[in-house]
Amino acid sequence: MDWSFFAQLLLNGIVMGVIYALVAMGLSLIFGVLEIVNFAHGEFYMLASMLAYFLTVQWGFDYWATIVVVTVVGLAVGYVLFEGLLFSLRGEAFERSILLTMGLSMVLQNGAVFLFTTTPRMEETPLSLQNVQFGDLRIPMARIYALVLGVVAFGALYLILHRTRLGKAMRGGAQSRVAAMMVGIDTRVVSRLAVAIGIGLSGLAGAALAPIYSVHPLMGFSFVFKAFAIIIIGGLGNVAGAAISAVMLGIIESFAGGLLPLAMTDAVAFVAMILVLLLRPQGLFGRGVRV
Amino acid sequence: MSPRRILLAVIAGLVALFVVPLVTDNEYVLALGVSFAAMSVLAGGLNLIYGYTGLLSFAQVAFFGIGGYTAVLLVVDLGWSLWAGVAAGAAVCVAMGLLVGYSSLRLSRHAFAIVSLSFALLCAIVARDWPELTRGSMGIPGLPTPEMKLPGLRWRIVEPSDYYYLLMGFAVLAHGLIYLVVTSRLGRAMRAIKLNEPLAQSQGVNPLSYRLLALALSALLSGIVGGLFVFYLTIIDPSIFDFYYTETMLISVVIGGPGSFWGVLAASAVMTVLPDLLRFTTDLRMVLYGVALIAAILIFPGGIGGWFYRRRLARWRRPQPKKSAP
Repeated sequence: MDWSFFAQLLLNGIVMGVIYALVAMGLSLIFGVLEIVNFAHGEFYMLASMLAYFLTVQWGFDYWATIVVVTVVGLAVGYVLFEGLLFSLRGEAFERSILLTMGLSMVLQNGAVFLFTTTPRMEETPLSLQNVQFGDLRIPMARIYALVLGVVAFGALYLILHRTRLGKAMRGGAQSRVAAMMVGIDTRVVSRLAVAIGIGLSGLAGAALAPIYSVHPLMGFSFVFKAFAIIIIGGLGNVAGAAISAVMLGIIESFAGGLLPLAMTDAVAFVAMILVLLLRPQGLFGRGVRV
Repeated sequence: MSPRRILLAVIAGLVALFVVPLVTDNEYVLALGVSFAAMSVLAGGLNLIYGYTGLLSFAQVAFFGIGGYTAVLLVVDLGWSLWAGVAAGAAVCVAMGLLVGYSSLRLSRHAFAIVSLSFALLCAIVARDWPELTRGSMGIPGLPTPEMKLPGLRWRIVEPSDYYYLLMGFAVLAHGLIYLVVTSRLGRAMRAIKLNEPLAQSQGVNPLSYRLLALALSALLSGIVGGLFVFYLTIIDPSIFDFYYTETMLISVVIGGPGSFWGVLAASAVMTVLPDLLRFTTDLRMVLYGVALIAAILIFPGGIGGWFYRRRLARWRRPQPKKSAP
């Protein structure tokens, strides 16, 4: 295998892994704080991609403006989602939360199919033609931006969780909801913030992905399953573990896609998840976060 | 209703189901009957695992499809008889169910939901992307006509009414088995696990073994139904793993009432007829289903079964009229 092919696979894998990471971190954060698996997470990512597409192509927003607008919309949607639907599910309601968000996912996905049809759309902007040349390796600018955005988002989330009072409250809520309430943490505020950040991150992921791959209403559905596998591999509720597992999965999938038959590529995530569950049920980076 | 009246109603229902193909050979009615038989067993299996033991399983559609694919491949490629193929498919389903259940339940029931979901998706991907085994997305059309050979009896299953009897007969057996399980000690233990797992454990009930049992049983029934149903369709392709089946099953169970045998049966009958009534709006049908699911979860958590149960409780609590002393 020649060097540039190897480097290309590695780079594609890292970029895809960072996109996975943005979605999976949000999913993991929401699970950690609320003990809810957000089934509709992939649909928000899909809607964010669609919004990014329409902003750039129809209304002529530039790249950074699109990223900011979509992320802010994502945060706002997360706020509304929590207050509108998820808050009514207090307490032991894991299965109900899945069914509820699944209903939401059906509405969003099929509504998007109804409005936009399943035709894939490719965002053609000046950015999609820009490349950076490293020797005989050519890297599209959009991928580098996606990579940078992912790293910045991860850093920001880490700082929020570990350097602010609100982040401390979120981690406390994730460790024990009852104890957090006893020391005067308003779990409603904390949960709301976790959902807003989670949806905001998948908005960022969708907006960063739109210039790289084509956009269509069914993209969120298959994507979110991988995100589920990632949060199990990384340890349920462990945000950093989810990020690391996501990048690893992106790289492994990229190499599997380059070297193995098609069926194997999509099976990688599932096989990895089953292996992790059998050998190390708390996840690779578990530390026994609350499960 | 008193047990005696329930028994009479069940017998009347069974006779009615048996008589349908005798009084009509309308293919549409028979096709609805076959769909109802298949869907109700799938929903019943999901109810057993979710409604009674509290595990939300998305793997039921995977068992349905694996049962179908295993039976078809054994019959078409290796020349097995349908019955052997279906039995083998059911065995594979049980093995897969135990693998998924055992590996994920060691962690938590949250992990079970996620793993079962990924498992169902993986099956769809394998069916589509492994053409050497499954013929890929084209599927395997033109399945042979099954035949039942017993001493002195040869039943070629060709007509819609034959399939009606085959699938409805199996559905009756399957629901009978589910009913026996949920009304026995096993069912009580399962319900106890769902209501309060630590309390059930303290009484010596091991949640893992009961949950695996419920999972294996529902995998078995779904696998058999899958094997029989694809021969009725005469074709199998990856759409048998479609998420649509999962959604229909979940709506049947949630609206019917998780843990309510009769509620889920009634809801799956409604969900068999509903797609045809909503034919005029195919695009928005799934949106409506989604809205129904959200509404049921938020407003109507116990489903139909839960509503009847609460009504019955209220009647019991009503003060009895005092009998005058003799």
